Amino acid sequence: MLPPSAFDREGFLCRLDDWSPAVAEQIAAGEQIVLTEAHWEVIHLLRQYYSEFDSSPAMRALVKYCGFKLGVDKGRSIYLLSLFPGSPARLGSKIAGLPKPANCL
Amino acid sequence: MNATDGKRTLVLIRHSPYGSSLARASVDVALATAAFEQPVNLLFVGDGVLQLLSGQDCEALGVKNLGRLLSSLPLYDIDHVYVDAEAAARYQLDLDAAPVAALPLDPGAMAELVSTHDHLLGF
Amino acid sequence: MTLHTLNASPASAAFADCLRLLTAGDALLLMGDGVYAALAGCSHRAELDTSGAMLYVLRDDAAAAGVLDRVDGVTVVDIDGFVTLSEQYARQLAWF
Repeated sequence: MLPPSAFDREGFLCRLDDWSPAVAEQIAAGEQIVLTEAHWEVIHLLRQYYSEFDSSPAMRALVKYCGFKLGVDKGRSIYLLSLFPGSPARLGSKIAGLPKPANCL
Repeated sequence: MNATDGKRTLVLIRHSPYGSSLARASVDVALATAAFEQPVNLLFVGDGVLQLLSGQDCEALGVKNLGRLLSSLPLYDIDHVYVDAEAAARYQLDLDAAPVAALPLDPGAMAELVSTHDHLLGF
Repeated sequence: MTLHTLNASPASAAFADCLRLLTAGDALLLMGDGVYAALAGCSHRAELDTSGAMLYVLRDDAAAAGVLDRVDGVTVVDIDGFVTLSEQYARQLAWF
């Protein structure tokens, strides 16, 4: 378990290197989300996105990226909303240990 | 702003990537505009074309890599990216290696592009 | 047609880039350090004249710079004139 000091005021991880699957579980638990295989698939994709583009995606980019990488069925807002309710780009990035998306809706 | 507004925005990007915060700001404005589902196109002008240099490595500077950020533009459905052909030639830019595909325009075509947009934002 | 505003020295990249995008039918309002581009007889001014754009200079800035009586051929406007220009042109682009 990471101490509260490892997170910023909104609960995003301060240091990218502190992230691990266990930390993802910890953040998800705080958001009342139980991580399934489907969640992990998107979490790993978010981390891949970050390493590729040096940024966290806004919703529009995340949806399109999921479509490219996971297939059209998963490149849909409604699918991502079912996994990460409310704001998938923001919540997914948070659990994936990434900075808050700059252009978050 | 709403999705049915349909006003076209052109963001003019005028500054080199790491000399000031203006470069990052101009790209962020474009991404934010697109994230709000507003039609937006990009024009790299003057020193702004230096953002299109391939092989940017700013890890030692501890700042975000703007080149890599630009390569995500298609994911934001920003499909129309234009570049000042004179400036690109002045810096011997290899546009085929640029992080994002950009169409070179001469000054006349740039002026024409400006005149076909409703909103202009230049940084 | 576009109203351009230039708030940068004639030696700046902003001036050079603005100049290449100016076309006849556009207007250019010079302010701040941009007012020096209005100086009659200087090369930057000649370049602006060649563009065919309507040229304006902001009175208070030109007066402060000491160029107000050396801008023949450029229309001097105050802030109200700036507002009027903004209304006349469909779009506006700031160079700084």
